[in-house]
Amino acid sequence: MRRGTFVRWGVPIAAAAVIGAAIGAGPVVAAVSGDPVLPERSAQQLLADAAAAVEKTEGPLPMSGTVQQTASLGLPALPQTGSAGPLSLLSGSHEIKVWYGEGDKLRVAMPTQMNETNLIVDGDQAWYFDSATNTATKILFDPGARPDDMAEHAPQEMTPQAAAEKVLAQADEHTAVSVTNTAEVAGRPAYQLVLKPKDAGSLVEEVRLALDGENFVPLQVQVFAKGSAEPAFQVGFTQVTFTPPAPENFTFTPPPGAKVEEKKLTAPKKEELSEAHAEEARKAAEDVKIVGDGWTSVAVLPATLSDLKAQGGEEAQGGEEAQGEDGPRFGDEADPAALIETVLKSATPVSGPWGSGKLITTKLATVLLTDDGRLLVGAVTPEEITKAAGVR
Amino acid sequence: MSTAETTTGSAAETAQTATRTARQPRRTPGLVPVAETLSTAERRTPEPAPPGLPPPVRRPGAFWRLLGSELGLTFRRPRNLAMLAVVGAVPILVGVALRMVGGGDDDGMGGMIASVAGNSLMLTFVSFSFLTLLLMPVAVAVVGGDSIAGEAGAGTLRYLLAAPAGRTRLLAVKFLNVVVYGYAVTAVVALSALVTGLLLFPAGDVTLLSGTTVPLTDGLLRIALSVGYIGAGMAALGAVAVALSTFTEVPVGAIAGTVVAVVVCQVLRAIPDLAPLEPYLLPARFTSFDSVLRDPIDTGTLLDGLSVFGAYTVLSLSVAWARFTGKDITS
Amino acid sequence: MTTVTQEAGAPFRAAPPSDAAIVTSGLTKRFRGGQVAVDALDLAVPRGSVYGFLGPNGSGKTTTIRMLLGLVSPTEGEHALLGLPLDQALPRVGALVEGPAFYPYLSGEANLRRFDAADPTASAATARERIGEALERVGLTAAAGKRFRNYSLGMRQRLAIAAALLGPRELLILDEPTNGLDPQGTREVRALVKEIAAGGTTVFVSSHLLAEVEQMCTHAAIMRTGKLVAQGTIASLSGGRAARIRVETPGPADAARVLTTLGLADVRADAYVSAELGGHAPEEINAVLVREGVAVRGLAVVRPSLEDVFVGLTGEGFDVDG
Repeated sequence: MRRGTFVRWGVPIAAAAVIGAAIGAGPVVAAVSGDPVLPERSAQQLLADAAAAVEKTEGPLPMSGTVQQTASLGLPALPQTGSAGPLSLLSGSHEIKVWYGEGDKLRVAMPTQMNETNLIVDGDQAWYFDSATNTATKILFDPGARPDDMAEHAPQEMTPQAAAEKVLAQADEHTAVSVTNTAEVAGRPAYQLVLKPKDAGSLVEEVRLALDGENFVPLQVQVFAKGSAEPAFQVGFTQVTFTPPAPENFTFTPPPGAKVEEKKLTAPKKEELSEAHAEEARKAAEDVKIVGDGWTSVAVLPATLSDLKAQGGEEAQGGEEAQGEDGPRFGDEADPAALIETVLKSATPVSGPWGSGKLITTKLATVLLTDDGRLLVGAVTPEEITKAAGVR
Repeated sequence: MSTAETTTGSAAETAQTATRTARQPRRTPGLVPVAETLSTAERRTPEPAPPGLPPPVRRPGAFWRLLGSELGLTFRRPRNLAMLAVVGAVPILVGVALRMVGGGDDDGMGGMIASVAGNSLMLTFVSFSFLTLLLMPVAVAVVGGDSIAGEAGAGTLRYLLAAPAGRTRLLAVKFLNVVVYGYAVTAVVALSALVTGLLLFPAGDVTLLSGTTVPLTDGLLRIALSVGYIGAGMAALGAVAVALSTFTEVPVGAIAGTVVAVVVCQVLRAIPDLAPLEPYLLPARFTSFDSVLRDPIDTGTLLDGLSVFGAYTVLSLSVAWARFTGKDITS
Repeated sequence: MTTVTQEAGAPFRAAPPSDAAIVTSGLTKRFRGGQVAVDALDLAVPRGSVYGFLGPNGSGKTTTIRMLLGLVSPTEGEHALLGLPLDQALPRVGALVEGPAFYPYLSGEANLRRFDAADPTASAATARERIGEALERVGLTAAAGKRFRNYSLGMRQRLAIAAALLGPRELLILDEPTNGLDPQGTREVRALVKEIAAGGTTVFVSSHLLAEVEQMCTHAAIMRTGKLVAQGTIASLSGGRAARIRVETPGPADAARVLTTLGLADVRADAYVSAELGGHAPEEINAVLVREGVAVRGLAVVRPSLEDVFVGLTGEGFDVDG
């Protein structure tokens, strides 16, 4: 080869190296510079600090940022229907933008290609705007109903704050809470709180909660499944700013030409978006039995294969109605019947002293549908769930 | 280079020298071959001008003259003008179609149609979201893929280089030409959509995707911003096409290669399992222009897109340069 | 090994001002696949010469020209035009390489403007004037506005020569300039080359036509399968084999005796009596023969043609008619 050839091709090779370095710069820099240095804190101190921070500001700190949620639950490929539907959050990676203002002001936006859904909460009233349908829905809260409750139904469930609260609520005698090495999240040094199930029957290896080193705001939640180095579920800020967002973010006027609807939220309850759902939930609650406790609790409810399929179909219809009549739903929902169909295809038949059934395992959850008409769900190993199946 | 080859070469040379000396003694005057190093090239003292004509001087505007010539060629070529006409016609068709659909019941209207019906400016963005998928990339790929391969295929490349156009200089001109054409394609779409929109739909305040309403001038500014962004994307694609163009003497090959790459990227985007790949795919970034329609403008996404465009441009151009400056022009 | 490309700037030390317009040393091109197109070529083209580059088709002429112009990088060896680095030399070099190549959808004039724009040393202000002159020199003024695709083969060839004449040139490299021309066109090109050469421009013209080179050139080089087999002035090439005097006579023995006494070498008596002419004047020999009573029916001086030289050197015929 001629020397000139080497010299010339060195240029694109160098360019590729620089670009590669730029792509990998984040992880590399993090690896080289090591963990950020923060004053040491025990788990208890950290939780106290976090609680104190929330107390002090009376609600979330004014901030804004981009939240990314990534799930690799090991589910079979889900049918791709609605792009923004809640079911779509079960696989792949999603991004939302959040703005927290002073007091009760909140804006959550979910951008999709040439569309955007927004939830804007300002004190007692909230607007939900979906650019795909060009529909603005005004939500009025009854006195006493906290806007937070509303936000809880909304994609705010994906925000670290909400997720962290849930996780902290679970920290009891079943959980070992510790503080591990610091980390950098969204370019900020953060403490990492590790919640580790004490019971070996759990599928969850540990849950990591990253708290901002300065404000103690939860920045990231990672759920690690057993035997997996990558988190099975992760939600966290990829970019965050702790300055009060511009007030325009929290005002909303329905644009001209948009359909405007109004909805009153009276005595809002969790898991309730329509009368039909509430009914189902009540019915279900009567039947549901919990076996075990803590991380290894398994929910047992009566269900048969045919029931599930039929119910899936109904739910699909119900979902559509709910969307038409009652307003706020984030995008289109995947057809649950189709989903159940897909999931059941990957089920493996099992049997034991407890009977026989179909077992579906994912990284974080195990589902057992017994032939005698019970559905068992839990974040536990298959052995654990069959044990639960033996409990009558 | 193998030793065997060198030996044969020098042996042949010795034999030749021998016969030559026997026949007619002759000597090559004044040529002292030296090992090629950068330093010897730099240290070379300027030679006194040889007898003959006065030394030629590089004219200051020469680069722009060549670029002007290139642009003249591009924008006079019927094929390239036809492509501009086609991309310019799409917004008119979309506008007329939306107008006819939009005449019906309001309830049946989707968000996109509704927003166009509500404001003329939205037609530009709707047109972009259709055209950036394939048609605009194809137009840019044609001009970019033709750039070097077309000249090589026609044989004009050897005359340009003997002129001497200079390889790096010619490559720079070819790339800038594609950049200008890419922006021309983008601007034609924007202008055609804007004019069609203003004729068919009401003008006025613009409703953004976030539901915020901004004044018309702000809307126009956002169109300008999207033109700048998409144009940069087209320029990056043009750089890819130019790079492919240096590897062949068949322009259709380079053009088809670029278009196939775009189509493959669009297919890859549709596969959910390959989602982690998406941020690195060039065509996946074209559609991020919708960031200008958010409130506040999602500058983060735009800047991410621009850095992807920049990376593709730099990498492609450096490959093109390495290939083109070392290439034997045998056409 | 070294590479010579325009980008490389000055890969070799420029020759000191010399009388050589083109110098190559050990110039070799081995294409991928091992085919050697040009093998250790040492050319020396003096300034002011009309240099014929002879060789059958496929003997490496075009590859050599491409290397000279920096289009193809040599595998080995060096070369210099006008004793300058390539990028400085090329603006003073007009070239016609392997036939005309233009933009079919542009007019002849627009085509020339395009190539003129590619030359960084050409002035835009004088472009119009220079293009007009070049077109006039090749007799294309009337067809200047016609699209290239409508040009005849001869017009295309002439436009290519016009492109080589766009600026003041010190060296013209013409690859087969009479290809595709009718006899009239061929005569015009030859006249043009002579005219250009008379103005002091060195002309390097490749051809596979011996007669053409003999008529136009002062110097010549002969290529065969990538190798240089001979190089020099036309006279010296022919002089490589001596001119002979040939006497037609009924008394060959007497004639041979006279020629021998005159001191001529290599006297042969066959159908004719012949001997190497050496430094003698044919008319003096004639006078002596007559004086000695030899009946002279005819007397001729035979000089070997380039073709004889070529056949002598290569033992091979030459495609004389193209």
